[in-house]
Amino acid sequence: MSTYVEARDVAAAVAAMADGARPVAGGTDLVVGARHGKAPLPESIVGIHRIPGLDGISVADGVVRIGALTSHAAILSSPELASATAGLLDASAIVGSHATRANGTLGGNVMNASPAMDTGAPLLCHDASVVLTGPGGTRRVGLAELWTGPGKTSASPDELMEAVELPLPPEGAGSAYVRLQYRRQMEIAVVGAAAYVEVSDGAVSAARVAITALTPVICRVPGSEEALVGRRLGSNDSVSGENPAVWTQTTEIGDAIHAAGQAAAAAATPISDVRASAGYRTAMAAVVTRRAVTAALTRATGGSVTVPASDWSER
Amino acid sequence: MTVTEERPTAEQQGTFIRPDGKEKVTGLGRYTADVNLTGQAHAAFRFADHPHARITRIDTSAARAIPGVYAVVTHEDVPENLYGGMVQDRLLFAKDTVRWEGDVVAGVAARTQAIAREAAAAIVVEYDVLPALPDFVANAQPGAPLVHPEWTAYDADDDLSREGNVVGHSTILKGDVDAAMETADVVVTSRFVADASQGAPIEPRAILAQWTGDRVTVWTSTQVPFAARDGVAHTLGIPQSHVRVIVPLLGGGFGSKCDFHFEAHVAALAEAAGRPVKLVFSRREEFLAPDHRREGMVLEFETGATKDGHLVARRATLHLDKGAYTGEGGFFAQMAAMHACGPYELDNVAVRAMLTYSTNQPSSSIRAPTAPQTCWALEQHMDQVAAAVGLDPVELRRRTLIRQGSHGPTGQVFDEIGMLDTLEAAVEMIGYGQELPDDEAIGVACGWWPSMASPSGAYVKLNGDGTGTIVTGAQECGTGAVMALPILAAEQLGMRPDDFSILYQDTDAGPWDMGASGSQTTFNNGRAVVAAAQEVRAQLLQMAAEKLEIDPADLELVDGTVRAVGAPSTSVTIAELAGTGTPLLGKGSGDLPENPPTDIPSACVGRLGLDSFLAPQLITHAARVKVDRETGVVRVLAFAAAHDSGVIVNKIGADGQVYGGVMMGIGQALSEATYFDEEGRQRNPGLLDYKLQTASDGPRIDVRWIEVDTPNAGPKGSKGVGEPPSVPTSGAVGNAIAQVVGRHVTQLPMTAERVWTTIQDVQEEAK
Amino acid sequence: MSIDITLTVNGVSHPLAVDPHASLLHTVRDQVGLTGSKEGCDDSECGACMMLIDGRPVNACSYLAVQADGAEVTTVEGLADGNDLTPLQRAFLEKGGVQCGFCTPGMLISATALLRDHPRPTEDQIRIALSGNLCRCTGYDGIVAAVAAAAEQG
Repeated sequence: MSTYVEARDVAAAVAAMADGARPVAGGTDLVVGARHGKAPLPESIVGIHRIPGLDGISVADGVVRIGALTSHAAILSSPELASATAGLLDASAIVGSHATRANGTLGGNVMNASPAMDTGAPLLCHDASVVLTGPGGTRRVGLAELWTGPGKTSASPDELMEAVELPLPPEGAGSAYVRLQYRRQMEIAVVGAAAYVEVSDGAVSAARVAITALTPVICRVPGSEEALVGRRLGSNDSVSGENPAVWTQTTEIGDAIHAAGQAAAAAATPISDVRASAGYRTAMAAVVTRRAVTAALTRATGGSVTVPASDWSER
Repeated sequence: MTVTEERPTAEQQGTFIRPDGKEKVTGLGRYTADVNLTGQAHAAFRFADHPHARITRIDTSAARAIPGVYAVVTHEDVPENLYGGMVQDRLLFAKDTVRWEGDVVAGVAARTQAIAREAAAAIVVEYDVLPALPDFVANAQPGAPLVHPEWTAYDADDDLSREGNVVGHSTILKGDVDAAMETADVVVTSRFVADASQGAPIEPRAILAQWTGDRVTVWTSTQVPFAARDGVAHTLGIPQSHVRVIVPLLGGGFGSKCDFHFEAHVAALAEAAGRPVKLVFSRREEFLAPDHRREGMVLEFETGATKDGHLVARRATLHLDKGAYTGEGGFFAQMAAMHACGPYELDNVAVRAMLTYSTNQPSSSIRAPTAPQTCWALEQHMDQVAAAVGLDPVELRRRTLIRQGSHGPTGQVFDEIGMLDTLEAAVEMIGYGQELPDDEAIGVACGWWPSMASPSGAYVKLNGDGTGTIVTGAQECGTGAVMALPILAAEQLGMRPDDFSILYQDTDAGPWDMGASGSQTTFNNGRAVVAAAQEVRAQLLQMAAEKLEIDPADLELVDGTVRAVGAPSTSVTIAELAGTGTPLLGKGSGDLPENPPTDIPSACVGRLGLDSFLAPQLITHAARVKVDRETGVVRVLAFAAAHDSGVIVNKIGADGQVYGGVMMGIGQALSEATYFDEEGRQRNPGLLDYKLQTASDGPRIDVRWIEVDTPNAGPKGSKGVGEPPSVPTSGAVGNAIAQVVGRHVTQLPMTAERVWTTIQDVQEEAK
Repeated sequence: MSIDITLTVNGVSHPLAVDPHASLLHTVRDQVGLTGSKEGCDDSECGACMMLIDGRPVNACSYLAVQADGAEVTTVEGLADGNDLTPLQRAFLEKGGVQCGFCTPGMLISATALLRDHPRPTEDQIRIALSGNLCRCTGYDGIVAAVAAAAEQG
């Protein structure tokens, strides 16, 4: 016998979850997953979609906070996020259709822990953590510790995610997410990669790279990051960055971008299925990583990369 | 000959919009799944659990015991009447053997769909599993295990072959190919493989059946109501007069809703349940269960050509996957053989096509069956020939396409046709020869498709206020027949198209028509409507002549009146004449155009009537594409479609057919395929992984009509319209990709991975 | 267990008892009796079921009816003002945006949401916004032209 309650505050949601209820907000993962036959709908459901204060975007004290109920559409229309976390916008812009984006929430996306979720890699590159509230109180967990396997998290079943938090990037930072896309919309990630870079004094001072749908959980690629840190952008190809082709040539940074791609391919452990062979996925891991890094560097150096970077980087 | 290109405005069309338009934009129109009857039960099927197996036991007792189950039906509950359009090779419910994963073993009617599905799963079916036979090329070899061991005993069209698993074996033999090949400057050979694809209408099929005494009424989402009616009558062993098929609004078909499908299963369930029964397919079932999908093919071509661009000889061997049952698709080998020649002048031809059973989903008519794949392969092969002789691909086509007076591959002599005009138009529209970035290119492909003559009937009657009603056997599935038929009737009667209501589809009301298939509705039913309207016209003229005391020959019908020629004030309105109570009723079918003669022995291409193309629809498509060399992702940036479909009766409808057909063709070129596993089970029966093109993938499509007033054709010199728009699309896209990549992608669809793999091969060899 | 909810569809309130797992689509079609919204896939791939919930476009096949308790739901039947079609509906008819019509309800809802957020959309914005609504008949050409024409008229 299935049951449903609607929670009007976090405490009520947590109480219901402690009784075994699964939270549902936009339904775009839970319900769609059930329709796909992935897992039946849970017998006990708690609606969290109208809990006040769980949506919204704020920047304070060097922390960007995105409420769990924030929709992809809201992320896309946020000027704060457009400048701070462009890579997240790249991801939200290509989740499902505009109906998915109007209803699908960041919280649902992150807690669903799909290795193919689009927002995961950019958030990981932005060093994001989630704010979890359970009967015992509130704690913060980094994404790398949160995701423990496909569809699995380290959150306990009675912990509700309240928000994603990430450090406000400094001047000279840029991020991007690029996915291989057969169609421009309505795709599930087959291969994706995100990059976050900080550029100072003409060189890459920090780099984080993560890959999507290539490993059982979305993960960082240390080899890609090491390939980038410390590398100089060169004088001619520096700030404008309008023509990313400059960086694919035999410049120092071009060489580093290429190496970052190779490292991502080496880190990938993809499957073969109806969407792509493992060999193609591996080769594409290098391509989307190069493109994500290129787009992030372009943004970091003041160049223009339209959202979504996946469209921008097609060539 | 006239050429039109602008999109018609509503003003140019008058205010005439689709008569079914308002109910569609308001959501008030009813499709089959929207119709409910008091007390109705819901149906679910138990499908085969293995693609190929012998059934050893069926036990329905557990299913029947589930509360809310009204009836369970198996082969034991219906007559053992084999059925099938061209070979009667199938039973409603499998008895001894299942031959594909969509074979229906049993049906359940229950209070809710959930209970019906639970009960269907509770039926115990035991099998001896047989080896799956998915490889249709291997199945065509002598001695291959048979999909239908007993099939020589089936009733079948006498004009089909029966050799092992080969259902249809068609050859075109003309001239002396061996000798001609010797004279060629170049001989080019190519091999291509096309995967299966789907019609994938957005409406999954739905059927609702209700018995009243010995008669059954079936509401169904079919393109072919009369075939559905006849199928119910045949399989259930009842007269056609006891079956009434009604088609509410139909949510697309694209061929997949042709032929008789599940109407009799649901009727049998409704009889057993003693109440109305409704079946609505899930999207997954809509992929798995219909015996309709576009056939997979393996195609080999060899063409000899001279340096001056003359095709001296063509050999081709084509293998087509029929799947488990023949249905209406027995003619496919012939059709593919004609498309292996294409609309070109060829004096020496040796084409062989084999349509072969397998234990895959049956293939059958999907929008221009066999043509898109065959044309894709041939047109890429033609570009290879052009490269070999050192000619521009467009120039090679200029020199070799059929024109007035040409002899086709089977010796058909062509009347005035616009083939070359379509080529020149498409080339101009796309800007062929323009400077492009090195990751972009333009590809061109040509194709053809026959108009199909078929008997058809319609009634036209006038109402007391001077409006009219068309009662037709034709079916509308979005194609625009509801616009074209009133336009044709109105022209005969001096009325406006929106003066007419149109009644379709009720098999008890309308005369027989073959349905929304074969691009035939306006072509054949249009002729019937014109003939019916002409009867009414004669009646009106006679009545007016008596009233006005003027000879009927001196009268004309204009603006809702009958008036004296040259003296318009001497007139009587149609309303006055119709309001007298005298029935104004016309019926018509018209004279069938005859297939053009050929000059090679009819046994060559086969005897199913496709050895010549009546009122051939001629097409050139041109695509400008961008290839992402790093990923293999292809985007179509611009598309030009130039068609000779004769005179266009309903331009907004005809344009819509091209836009939709081209987009379907782009999908088949790049993203749409049904992938089977080693046993022939579908791997991607859903819209996430069976990828239709979306609004953001497609280019704007430019359409131009080459309007040739065609003799021996449809009304006003028209030809068919609906199927050709998908024919050369993938060939044009493929030729454009090859221009960028440096090699043709030899597998359809040309997915990103396949394009990328081709690029890797080219780069490897360059090293 | 049935849950009591109030579903406001096209301005009319419906007190309903629904199963917690029931989709908004099935509830509106079967219990409210409005069948304009279609089921084409049941997994958010085709968009034929699209409705507006408090103005947001939603794939109603994948949205739980219980979650729409108290919300304003608009279906295709709620777009026209009585017998008067909206400019968007008229444009669909005049520009060849309707063929079989099965995707039309979802397309109209989707386009309505787009035009509310972007009254003057570019062609690419129209195409992106309608990508969740599959159409097999029109090649999208007439539909895109219709949305653009409706935007022109404001």
